[in-house]
Amino acid sequence: MRTFGRQCRGKGKVYLKWVRKTEKQLLSIGCQVVPLALCAQMHLQEDTAIEAVQRERLLHKLDQAIEAHRHIEKQSRQLVNGKKLDHCKIVNAYDGTIAPIKKGKSNCPCQFGKKPGIIAEMATGFLFGYHLPQGNPDDASYVMPLVQTVGTAIDLLDWTYPKRTPRIRSLCGDLGMNDPKVRADLHLEGIATVGIPTSIEPIPKVPTPEMIDEVLNTPIIGKKQNTTQIKTAYACAYSRPFIEGLITTLICRGATAIKYKGHRGADIQIGSAILAANAATLVRINQDRITKRAQLFRRLFRLKTLNSNKNNHTYV
Amino acid sequence: MGKLRQLCHWMTGQGKKMDVSEFVPHDHPLRQWSDVLPWSKFVVAVEESFARRYPKERSGGQEPLPIRVLLALELLKAELSCSDEQICARLRTDFAVMYVCGIEQVKVDRSQGHYVLPESLCQFRSQIDAALMAQLVAIQGADAMDKGLISPQHLVVDTFPAEQGSQRVTDATTLYKAKKKSSKSSNK
Repeated sequence: MRTFGRQCRGKGKVYLKWVRKTEKQLLSIGCQVVPLALCAQMHLQEDTAIEAVQRERLLHKLDQAIEAHRHIEKQSRQLVNGKKLDHCKIVNAYDGTIAPIKKGKSNCPCQFGKKPGIIAEMATGFLFGYHLPQGNPDDASYVMPLVQTVGTAIDLLDWTYPKRTPRIRSLCGDLGMNDPKVRADLHLEGIATVGIPTSIEPIPKVPTPEMIDEVLNTPIIGKKQNTTQIKTAYACAYSRPFIEGLITTLICRGATAIKYKGHRGADIQIGSAILAANAATLVRINQDRITKRAQLFRRLFRLKTLNSNKNNHTYV
Repeated sequence: MGKLRQLCHWMTGQGKKMDVSEFVPHDHPLRQWSDVLPWSKFVVAVEESFARRYPKERSGGQEPLPIRVLLALELLKAELSCSDEQICARLRTDFAVMYVCGIEQVKVDRSQGHYVLPESLCQFRSQIDAALMAQLVAIQGADAMDKGLISPQHLVVDTFPAEQGSQRVTDATTLYKAKKKSSKSSNK
């Protein structure tokens, strides 16, 4: 993929000797750190002079120190010379959170880095939030934390009747959303999972009556959706060019080359890039410099008044 | 004011006072970019987070640099693709950057080398955590929804790959480069 130069791809090899050399040093230090950290934790629990906030912070730091050692120790046992690299193995001894990204690769060596998840509005691409997991977990695990970030933003609104509090009506993407458990969780929250292709055939932009009936007859969500909303959701179907556009926006702002150290650093860098990209998106919305498709969606979402000179049908 | 002047160097000059907002045109991209961000809410969120995680043990001391300035510099780094040093240098001379940082007036003083040191920015960044960053994104989303600019009705989720630590050269990279270099030289 484009964000990885050839240097970072390497030739699919792990330089085992180098990893081992650094690993030995880390393990020898870790052996001494773990009993000391456990001892310090015990003393902290007994000490009543320290404030609760400070104690919590120190305990957290000690937990991190113990966990880091366990992580390296576990992976050290798994990394065997000549054996193929499995999921989530340590490859860079300087960063315990790094993991090979193996999913979706068929034509080039394994990538190494992080895989942040994003959730965005379909019309303009405003990013509601991001999720940066430790390691490289299952795709399906991204969905609910991402939905939660939108929920947090909605909770910050203090709207009361007659202004209706917004809610998520539909979600699309190819991020493990064909997983029945994820679908069930989303349906429980009244979110339709339409607009997601389940086969290699692209989904139609205008749903057939049978498709609408299928969604309406889905238990739980059927009661909360109507035909127009389902048609809009189908019009908002997953589109790779749209996602690529969002990723390009983030690339321009340096979200794909993590220069700050560690997981926290990556969080800050990606968060800053998203805030900057969102501000640029809002400038474009204010100046009405958005695509025809986005303009139509904004009319469908009732963010703009309908254009009497144009066809405002859900067909995009 | 005496204490403030020791750190807010844009107010320390002896020369003519200039109004920053009058200097930056209304259609300047950075001005427009800055105007859509809910700065006051951001600053409140950052202050609350810092006060909770790093409680002040003693009162007094010098006033720190305004959070608004440091936060704006951190976001500008992403928007302008600058390093710490570059963005701090731009703040000294670029009125649009000063506007984004919320500096309203500046006194002309060519003897002053900097307004904010890169070290100060780095120290500020070390206090930001993942929860605060997520909160800032949520605040921006809520503010945009409040203004009727966006809607969370229909959303899309996906991932993108991010390359780790490109600036820090690892042993693996060095070895890879060395091999590549030697193979190139042998081909010649």
